Amino acid sequence: MSLFGTSSGFGTGGTGVFGSTTTDSHNPMKDVEVTSPPDDSISCLAFSPPTMPGNFLIGGSWANDVRCWEVQDNGQTVPKAQQMHTGPVLDACWSDDGSKVFTASCDKTAKMWDLNSNQAIQIAQHDGPIKAIHWIKAPNYSCIMTGSWDKTLKFWDTRSPNPMMSLQMPERCYCADVVYPMAVVATAERGLIVYQLENQPSEFRRIDSPLKHQHRCVAIFKDKQNKPTGFALGSIEGRVAIHYINPPNPAKDNFTFKCHRSNGTNTTTPQDIYAVNAIAFHPVHGTLATVGSDGRFSFWDKDARTKLKTSEQLDQPITACCFNQNGNIFAYASSYDWSKVCDNKSLQLLGQYSC
Amino acid sequence: MPVCNFFLQGRCRYGEKCWNEHPRGGNRGGGGGGGGGYNNYSNRSSGQQQPRSGGFGNRVWVNPSQQKGNYIQPSSFSSHGSDDWGHGGGGGGGGGGRRENVKSSDFSFSSQNRFSALNTPSTFDRGGRGGGGGGRAAGGTVGDEDDDKKLEVIQMDMDVWEKSGQWGFSCYYSFQTLVSGFTDLSPEELRLEYYSTRASGDLQGYMNAINQLLSQWKTRIQELKIMNPATRAALLAELNGAAPQGSSGGFGSTTATGFGASISSFGSKGFGAPAPAQASGFSFSASNSGFGSAATQSSSTGFGNILAAPTQPPSGFSAASSSAPSASSFSFASSTTDKSAPASGFGSASGFSFSSTAGSGFGVGAPATTGSSGPFGQTSGGFGAAAAQPTSGTGSAEGTSDSLFSPESKLTEEELSQFKAKKFTLGQIPLKPPPSNLLVV
Repeated sequence: MSLFGTSSGFGTGGTGVFGSTTTDSHNPMKDVEVTSPPDDSISCLAFSPPTMPGNFLIGGSWANDVRCWEVQDNGQTVPKAQQMHTGPVLDACWSDDGSKVFTASCDKTAKMWDLNSNQAIQIAQHDGPIKAIHWIKAPNYSCIMTGSWDKTLKFWDTRSPNPMMSLQMPERCYCADVVYPMAVVATAERGLIVYQLENQPSEFRRIDSPLKHQHRCVAIFKDKQNKPTGFALGSIEGRVAIHYINPPNPAKDNFTFKCHRSNGTNTTTPQDIYAVNAIAFHPVHGTLATVGSDGRFSFWDKDARTKLKTSEQLDQPITACCFNQNGNIFAYASSYDWSKVCDNKSLQLLGQYSC
Repeated sequence: MPVCNFFLQGRCRYGEKCWNEHPRGGNRGGGGGGGGGYNNYSNRSSGQQQPRSGGFGNRVWVNPSQQKGNYIQPSSFSSHGSDDWGHGGGGGGGGGGRRENVKSSDFSFSSQNRFSALNTPSTFDRGGRGGGGGGRAAGGTVGDEDDDKKLEVIQMDMDVWEKSGQWGFSCYYSFQTLVSGFTDLSPEELRLEYYSTRASGDLQGYMNAINQLLSQWKTRIQELKIMNPATRAALLAELNGAAPQGSSGGFGSTTATGFGASISSFGSKGFGAPAPAQASGFSFSASNSGFGSAATQSSSTGFGNILAAPTQPPSGFSAASSSAPSASSFSFASSTTDKSAPASGFGSASGFSFSSTAGSGFGVGAPATTGSSGPFGQTSGGFGAAAAQPTSGTGSAEGTSDSLFSPESKLTEEELSQFKAKKFTLGQIPLKPPPSNLLVV
């Protein structure tokens, strides 16, 4: 994992980490590497919310653990704590007060980790691996939302073993995002559902996906009044769709753009197309970052519809990313995302690999 | 008053103020007509964008040099020779019916006759196609060219998909339909599967399964790229919303191909209304019959419909009844009500719980009856862990009747009340099919 610190904004080339003399594809951006990274691929990253002083980063991994680091102002990281599941951890999130971390795993459970006491208890159970977990803080309730491959979306009060509510989805949940009062879930088979969370969660609309292929990641963005107004949806086909919920002019306001492809504008040779693994929005500027299987991350301005910056290529795909609460720090995780399975040669290597 | 030639071409600078006649209806497609004078120059040009979106391009609509004494000149791009219908009828395909409203009394042919020329295929200009999707103008003959374009687009997409090294286990959607024969599997699901089989030590089974999936994907891509007549017909049927006939799509063989892994991770379970015998699932277990989706009966087309129009008869699904409680599988049997809106049933086992308990896989197409409520053709990804004896073949536990209707006992109270109500309440539409006794004709 690496951290990328800037003083302000993006696209200004502020820190000048570019242009190293030696090409180090492991960390070509010369960003700060986190100490004691997990032993297997990192599935998710999340920074602590503004209610807590300091920056704490949690990362879940395929090594069944979720780790917490403190990120100091000089960029150095200090490992703080770790919790285990019995299966790979797929998603993690913070509570709004920053005292608890919720983790979701392939072992079909979700746990609540109290950082002060370093205890974790199970708070949710599904019939299939839980792919997405988010904390919802509404004026009249707070709960955890979990989306699973068992095609259900469940809402849990952490004190009770039974879900407060269980909503059926058309297909397995592949990714979700929550910004109160809106939640978006993208499922397999191009399913896309928006939920409204006021009073109690209910399905708001099913949207015909603007993308042609499998959904991979989704992130909600807000308008100038800080209200959620739309989302960015990434697919395995190197494309991100920006979709507004109630735009004045849908045909013009919603658009898709291609990203994480090789070959730029050269149309003679076929492009290599990579999946977009994660999308994150800058909390202050509203610009978005995408990370892909090609091992690069890019920053974009969706209003000006321009690309701000693309990083150098890392040797591994980038699997997760997030901004800290004031947007000063961008963290991204470099690890294998299983994307080479479709390539026969790599598949053979996989067969020879034994654990 | 003489007719304004510039107006007919769509570029009169004076607009309403013009001293020449602007026949109404003659040139809507040419762009808004402007407001008047020079001020609206930019206005007009932007107004032109819209009507021209139908692939009109920059063609001059009417050819002023061919004055025949009426105001509708044969359009310059029209492919017919002697036909009088010069009103750019072909262009109507792209832009919609607007251009057919020829109101000016100066026309030489009566309005009843307006479309007679459209009966001949030669009338249609290919250029007007442009926007893909369905600009269907008056004639049925438009269909062929539309379809050609669609197929071309699909072929190109397949080409790009194959060459780009993109993730192969993804659904593919084009022209308002989910094209059958593609399964949706996320890298995490496959990875989890790998980790579980690694724990049990049998990697070969996993490799075989992945190779199987890969080869199926490649076959399907090749099919769509090469587009032999059978594939083409099936594909067109899908695109046009009908239930595709048992095609060669995707997963081919209905014969059992066992995978030989001892852990039945990818359980399979066929299901589907009719002819269960042919459904074969995809499973890793040695005992099970392997992959295959028999016919691509109403495929995921229905799925698209389901998503888009939740008020359609909900595709019912009942969690695989035969599987153990922790099963994550799911079969999506639904009743196809009519051809135009096939809510396809297809089964998919969700999730991948690989523990050796329970599970049930997912089924893939039970084909056989044409146009019926046969479910789907694609093995939608998602596999439930099948137990050591995965329910092979079709809807074993669910008989034919179960997939169309659910017995009342299986419905929750809310669902029952929804079915009993006069109308569905949005947000509470049951996802299971109704019990047969509640159906009132």
